[in-house]
Amino acid sequence: MKTKSLLKALSALVLAYGLTACSATPEIEPHAQEPSWPTSEEEMAHTMTNQISDPWQGFNRRMYYFNHTVDENILLPLVSGYKAITPDPVEQGVSNFFSNLGEIPIFLNAALQLKPKPAFETLGRFAVNTTIGLAGLFDPATHMGLDKQNEDFGQTLGHYGVSPGPYLVLPFLGPSNLRDAFGGIVDMAAYNAAVNELGLKDSEELFMNFVKALDTRKNINFRYYASGSAFEYDTIKLLYTKYREIQIER
Amino acid sequence: MLAACASQTEQQQAAQMNKQVCDLPYTTYQATVTGHCQVPKAVLPQDIERDEMVLEMRPYEQIPEVFFYNKGLKYAAVTQEQPAPLVFSIAGTGGSYDGSKMRNLEKGFYQQGYHVISLSSPTFSNFIVNASTGEDHFPGFLEKDAEILYEVLEKTLAQVKAEKEIEVTEFYLTGYSLGGAHSAYLAKLDQERKQFNFKKVLLVNPPVSLYNSVSVLDGYLDIDDGDVAKRDRLNATFENIIDRFSDAYASMESASFTQDSIYQLFGQSNLTEDELKLLIGTSFRMSSAEMIYAIDTTFNYGAVIYKDHEISKYENNFHSFVRASRKGFLNYFDRAIVAHYTKEDPNLTRDELIERLSLKAIEDFLVQADNVSVVTNADDIILADGEVEYLQSVFKDRAKIFPQGGHCGNMDRKDFVAYINKYFAK
Repeated sequence: MKTKSLLKALSALVLAYGLTACSATPEIEPHAQEPSWPTSEEEMAHTMTNQISDPWQGFNRRMYYFNHTVDENILLPLVSGYKAITPDPVEQGVSNFFSNLGEIPIFLNAALQLKPKPAFETLGRFAVNTTIGLAGLFDPATHMGLDKQNEDFGQTLGHYGVSPGPYLVLPFLGPSNLRDAFGGIVDMAAYNAAVNELGLKDSEELFMNFVKALDTRKNINFRYYASGSAFEYDTIKLLYTKYREIQIER
Repeated sequence: MLAACASQTEQQQAAQMNKQVCDLPYTTYQATVTGHCQVPKAVLPQDIERDEMVLEMRPYEQIPEVFFYNKGLKYAAVTQEQPAPLVFSIAGTGGSYDGSKMRNLEKGFYQQGYHVISLSSPTFSNFIVNASTGEDHFPGFLEKDAEILYEVLEKTLAQVKAEKEIEVTEFYLTGYSLGGAHSAYLAKLDQERKQFNFKKVLLVNPPVSLYNSVSVLDGYLDIDDGDVAKRDRLNATFENIIDRFSDAYASMESASFTQDSIYQLFGQSNLTEDELKLLIGTSFRMSSAEMIYAIDTTFNYGAVIYKDHEISKYENNFHSFVRASRKGFLNYFDRAIVAHYTKEDPNLTRDELIERLSLKAIEDFLVQADNVSVVTNADDIILADGEVEYLQSVFKDRAKIFPQGGHCGNMDRKDFVAYINKYFAK
């Protein structure tokens, strides 16, 4: 537990320093020449991408690169090792297990947004999968027509009119914004409260979190810079923001 | 409640069984955006073993820092254990070796017992950064593209042979869209150089005239004149499309995105013809902006970047995207291709250059090249009036024209894949 809070304090420090310290504005050498194809401040300001608040871009772009490095050197090799030694049905079982624990924050958020159908469907899924699905290792609920929902505290805040705030690339977790990052912390607390009910030892909990991290990364089909686009940072920012708007509308 | 859910599931499952096709109203634009989903999808293997390959061409230390992730030409190889024929496959404008169309082609060829080497388009940034030769070359100039590609075919083949220990019996070649035009020029070049002696070459949805095709696609996103009111209207249209997607998504049963739910989103959002064109034009404009940026950065021309400025990998380079995307491909054609090649050959006019960037320029070769065939759709949006007929008159019985499918909209569909399978049947 101690290491956890230390990590938290450390990352808060890095965040506070990093957000303000680095810049993304080009440092143009004195001999460099203006691009010959024109644009204007007015034009730049009216692009869809620049409608998104991104005052911490210097930090964000560095974090984007940092995440890529962590991905390449640590996470992805671990994931492929995990996939190599784990039989597919076991992998699926692990995914189902964590997905089932994740129903708790989904239910809470659906309830907070006063959406009875998704809330009951999620509750139903949790009940069915925890019992018939053997503690969530199997997912009979989906086969029974109970659809997996997608709610989180960021969406709940958005539902009640909280604006996204500045765009934020989180260490390890990637694209987010101030609202959703805060939401993630709240969801994590709900999840942890549920996990505490399992009465695990610290070392067991650590192992579980490790496997959960691998499982989460395994299920996200995204590789930094894999699009080959020189403007991937901007495209992802736009897609993330619009995707969240669409989710919140739901 | 559970019983009710169960009966609903049976209905859903039945619906899913029939959901091989979508119920969107067919237009050539819709087929170009979502695929020709009104006809059934081909059955292809789920997953095949596929190697990601990297080939060093330009020395890595010459690659600009901002393209740190583009060190080495990336391509894919799919190989057979026994001796087999090999297909080279080339992507379309701005397309990567890794795109879904390329992967579908790989699966089909693999199933038929071929080795496959999948290559990005010479207009894709990774290709430009690693293989383009700079001063004397602008991607899109087909003759020179083909020369560079020829070298890439030789080098990738040598690498795959060495690393995968494969035995190749004979060579085939294909490419879609711009990759189709490249294939035609490569086939012609091979007639002189005779390194591959391609048994068969298939051009899939190729342009006839590059200039005509580019004019069509560029025209779908009409922002080049800098008209502010027009731009604001387009932005509003985009926001409106996103709003309609939101509403459609909100009304869906499941929160997860599947192929079916995407069709459903498009179905409920009911995009107009102009809106579909806008999406196609935007996607094309994004590819051309990437291409322009890659050329500019690699060779330090200073069109959309600061000349003589080293771009850091953390730098905000979005201004370059705005500069490049406002102007589009036609502007690149005039400012780069025309400017360069008329300087090289002062007798060359702009119109002659337009003529040269087409299949018509190698018509004499294509008429008699029995190993070269074309497959396209009667309503392909990149073909101007009369160009379908032109392809028929040049290729005669080597031309297969499907009545529908838009631009490359049926490449993963049953009828198209059946045609490809038959064409490549050994």
